[in-house]
Amino acid sequence: MPEREQREITRVCAQTCRMLMQHGAESALAESVGRRLGVALGMTDAEIALMANGITVTTSCGGRADTIVQRIQDRGLNMHVVTEVQRAMLLAEARQLDLAGVARRLDEIQPLRYNRWLVSLMIGLSCACFARLALISKGFDADLTTPLLTFVASAVAMHVRQWLAHFHFNPLVNFAAAAFVATSIAAQGMIYGLVDNPKFAMSACVLLFVPGFPLINSVSDMVKGYINTGVSRGVMAVLLLLASCSGILLAMTVWNVWTWL
Amino acid sequence: MNTLLILLQDMGLAAVPAVGFAMIFNVPRGALKYCAVGGALGHALRLSLHKFGELPIEWATLIAASVVSMLGIYWAKHWRAHPKVFTVAAMIPMIPGVYAFTALLAVIEIDRKGFTEELLKTALNNGLKAVFIVGALAFGLALPGLLFYRRKPVV
Repeated sequence: MPEREQREITRVCAQTCRMLMQHGAESALAESVGRRLGVALGMTDAEIALMANGITVTTSCGGRADTIVQRIQDRGLNMHVVTEVQRAMLLAEARQLDLAGVARRLDEIQPLRYNRWLVSLMIGLSCACFARLALISKGFDADLTTPLLTFVASAVAMHVRQWLAHFHFNPLVNFAAAAFVATSIAAQGMIYGLVDNPKFAMSACVLLFVPGFPLINSVSDMVKGYINTGVSRGVMAVLLLLASCSGILLAMTVWNVWTWL
Repeated sequence: MNTLLILLQDMGLAAVPAVGFAMIFNVPRGALKYCAVGGALGHALRLSLHKFGELPIEWATLIAASVVSMLGIYWAKHWRAHPKVFTVAAMIPMIPGVYAFTALLAVIEIDRKGFTEELLKTALNNGLKAVFIVGALAFGLALPGLLFYRRKPVV
């Protein structure tokens, strides 16, 4: 195999790994997809080392090895990209795509983004459902106004969160600001006595800031032996939670409404 | 209310957050229905195990997560995508968000007001619940892979 082709295969392997890590796939998946793609494209072996913000890929073929290091920048969770990258690898394994085909397919992936208003609406409904679940478990079956307040607070907060993300603010700043907005709106229910159980609205409206995906990814990375990526993802998730806490605390201080503890 | 109605209501209320958060994770359109079904089944199963089966919440979560994960593997083969694409969004209704926030806010209160036994108790109780439930969710999701797909990939 010519050296130029091996170089290109290494680059494509690194690109698949990088795209998977950037869009929130777990480490075991990123590693196995990269390795399988390398072998499917004709390498004897493709070895991948994952770090929290970079990857190293080495392919070997006929006694010659080629190594590439790429930086990982967080692009936000996107399962659509993860699915498409994995399908490109599966097609290469089934011999339906060659090297150029895989490269083209990877470059053509347009990350799916749902409409901002639709996401805000759905997240508002989600948090309203969380409030309702909490109310039911505590026996307040008849209360429908608290979920309504939760809906307003979290839908607005989600919109703020997406709006700030659009300007590329650091996620920590973003979460703190949006958690402040959510708690401020829910606090009005307490101040003006708008709803029957404002405490539940206060706790349910910030549930959109729980980084569930990074938390689960962190534990499953560590369970599967990728301790370093697992630890860094877990630390990031806890930092996001702490940032949201600071927003909640600020709002509770401003409005002098203390419901959490 | 009878048991069936309670479970149906629980399924409905859990399916919405599963889809809502699936949209934050940008799950492809065609897979959203699997997230809804997984979220509804997982949460209702946990409720019945915890409330009617009197299992501790952590164990109920572990069982519910592993059942959803097996379903996820079936869908993954059918849909040619990694099971996590469906299953993580389905876990969202079970994430211990309120426990996690309460624990962290209690820690911040200890810093603000000084140490009291009550605050430390709140922080530890809620924090440990949150850690163990997240652990149960992630471990439950990984379980079929650890038991049945040890050497071969799912897709």
